[in-house]
Parts: sequence; C-alpha cells; structure tokens
Amino acid sequence: MLSYAPGDSIAHRLDPRSKLAVQAGFAAAALAYTTPVALAALTALAAGIAAASEFPLRRTARSLRYPALLLAAGPLVAALTLGPPWFEPSAAVEPALGSYRVLLVLVVSAAYVRTTPVSESRAAIQRTIPGKAGQLLGVGIALVFRFLPVIRGDLRRIQRASAARLGTERGAVERATTVGVLGLERTFRRADRLSLALQARCFSWGPTLPALSLSRRDLPALALAAGLALSALLRGARAVGLL
Amino acid sequence: METETEGVDLVEGRVVRQFARAALLAALMGATAIVAIPIAGIPGTLQPLIVFLAGIYLGPYWGATSMGLYLAAGIAGAPVFAGWAAGPGVVVGPTGGFLVTFPVAAFLIGYAIHRGGDLRDPAELSPLYLGGVLLVATAVLYAVGVSWYAWVVGIELGEAALAVAAPLIPGDLVKIVVAVAIARSGRIDTV
Repeated sequence: MLSYAPGDSIAHRLDPRSKLAVQAGFAAAALAYTTPVALAALTALAAGIAAASEFPLRRTARSLRYPALLLAAGPLVAALTLGPPWFEPSAAVEPALGSYRVLLVLVVSAAYVRTTPVSESRAAIQRTIPGKAGQLLGVGIALVFRFLPVIRGDLRRIQRASAARLGTERGAVERATTVGVLGLERTFRRADRLSLALQARCFSWGPTLPALSLSRRDLPALALAAGLALSALLRGARAVGLL
Repeated sequence: METETEGVDLVEGRVVRQFARAALLAALMGATAIVAIPIAGIPGTLQPLIVFLAGIYLGPYWGATSMGLYLAAGIAGAPVFAGWAAGPGVVVGPTGGFLVTFPVAAFLIGYAIHRGGDLRDPAELSPLYLGGVLLVATAVLYAVGVSWYAWVVGIELGEAALAVAAPLIPGDLVKIVVAVAIARSGRIDTV
C-alpha cells in the first residue's frame, strides 16, 4: 500500500494546492493526447515528477497492479476478433496507447499521495471549496481517515466470528447479508456515539486548519500545471475546429 | 494555525447525526475494499452494496454526501479504492467512471425511496420496488463506468463492456438481493 511518508524532496516542500494543480494539468494533458510523441513527453515528465518526489518504485509498481490488469484487458479484448484470424495485434495498438496514458496519470498521482500529508490535503480541499460545504467536506475527510482502521477492525472481527461459526460454509447471499447487516449496525452505532461526542464538544462551523502558504518555490509547479492545462485546451479547441 | 474567534456557530443536532453517519459510512465503504466474497468464482468487493445502503439509509442528500466524502478521502490519500489504491489519479483511472457515479447512484436510490422529504423506513417498501430501484441505479453505474473506460482506453462500447462490466454482473445482481434483504430485515434505523 502506498501512503504518505515524511521526506525532504522537492515535492514534499511544495504547497498541496500547486501539487493538485499539477495533477489536474497532467491528467488533462494525458487525456487530450494519445500520439506516441506526446506520450513520450508525458513519460519523461512523469519520470521527472517521480524523481522529484523520491518515491519507492517497487512499492508503487505493486500498488498499480490492479489498475494495470484492468487497463490491459481493454487492448486484449480489442485485439480479439470473432472469426479468423481470431487475434489481431494491430487493433490493440491504439487502446494500448490509451491505457498507457492512464497508467502515467496513476504514477503521477502516486507521487502526490507519497509526498502530501492528509492534513494538508484536507486543508487544500477545504480552502478551495468555500462555505459550509467545504468545512463539512474537510471534517468528513478527517473522520474517514480516523475511522478507516477502526471500521476495518470491525469488519475483520465480524468475518472471524462468522468463520468460527462455520459462516464460510454458507452461500454468498447469506454471508454478504450477515457482513452487511452487522457492519452497518456497528458503523451506525459508532456514528451515533460520535455525533453525541461532537455535540457535547460544541461541534461548530469554525475550523482550525494548518496554515498553507504559496511561496516562490510553487511558481514552477503552477506554471507547469498551467502549461499542461493549456496544451489540453489547445488540443480541445483544435478538435472542435476553433483553431 | 488559524482559529476562528469571531463567534461560535453550532452545527444543528440533526445535521451532526446525519453527517457522522455519512462520514462513517464512507469509512465503511473504504474498509469493504478488503472484504472479498467470491460470487460465481469471481472475488468482488462489497462496495456496490454500500452505495445501495447509502441511498437506502441516508436518503438522497446525505447518501450522495457520504459517497462524495469517500471519493474526497481517496483523492486526499486514504487507501479506500479497490486494491488499497489512493490519490487523485484513480478518479480518472480505468474505474473512474464507476467511482464518480457512486454519489449519483446513491442520490437516485435515496430519491426514489424517500422522495426528498423525511426518511422513511425502508422495511415498509415492497421488495420488488426496492429491487427495481437498485437495478436501475446499477444500470446507471454501468453505463457511465463502461462509457468512461471505452473513451479513456479508446475501444468500442461493446468491447469495454466485455472487459470491465461482464465479469461483475453476477456479483452485482447478488448484491441487489443482499441489499433488499438488509433493508427488509428492519434491524437498522434511519435518522
């Protein structure tokens, strides 16, 4: 599993908002182009971003196993034909390029996860979305993080208890119903206790967030994000015939 | 640190209760990424089931909020997506279409069951109606999920359906049955 690790790389020192901007710009550029030349440029850029965030390559590769499998399915299905020659590799080239660009987006996204602590991501999202919606979103993200291991523990206990009572011998519907009812019951019981505790502590609309500040360091990242977004826009404008 | 000192604007009790449930249901959604129950030989997670339950028990608005929180936490780096994945890129990844439609599906289910007003007890609804609602929501999920995959990889819709949707259909039909069984059990209250 890939998660945040403290460090001193360039990406660690950037403001989370400029990192999110780079993510969005990269995704837009990758989705706008599938030509081999553009993909080579994006590959070099992704490698640069990976180097600037010093993330462990092997663990990242492992965390991309599942989406990589799913992305490989598309070109494979496209290459299969009903009737001779049954398998046509040339039909898989375009989809393979399409799949590859998504993989690049996932690599760049892994760099973000590796270099950004949750509290900063939360602050970035909460500051970008104004008003009460942004505040509920910020608190909600923090709660999901806090309760994820707790509820994971609940589910594990439910499964172990069910297995001890030979629940594993039952059919899929019965097993899933048991896990679903018990999991939901415990989750809602925890939520009701949490809401009581929040109210007892005067849960209000006034947040305390870590301070974020954009500095000169962020300028290159923001310029990169703007450039990538512009390239995607240009491509879009050309596609609809404006340019 | 920036602390708001101008005044205290308390969050209303009903909102706190629904909000806590929405946030923890989002955590449950993330936690079920690790629960794999093989259905017809294919190990699927219980995540679609949680989308159904979000609409059924939290209603349209808080159900959609809950799924939105799940996505936001995943984007912020919580390992809540299938296969312990996290990060902003996953949302435009191969399963991105399914992910961004979760809030929409939860809203549709919640609206069809509660009609936007006070939450009703889902145990009172006919199982046929419940099942129909969940089937329609699942169809919406598949339509967006498959279209997104087809567009992003650059293949035809039929091929995309074969690659990402066909293996999941039996499991998701079972999850509809399970969600109806949970709703009819009457063991869980709405706020």
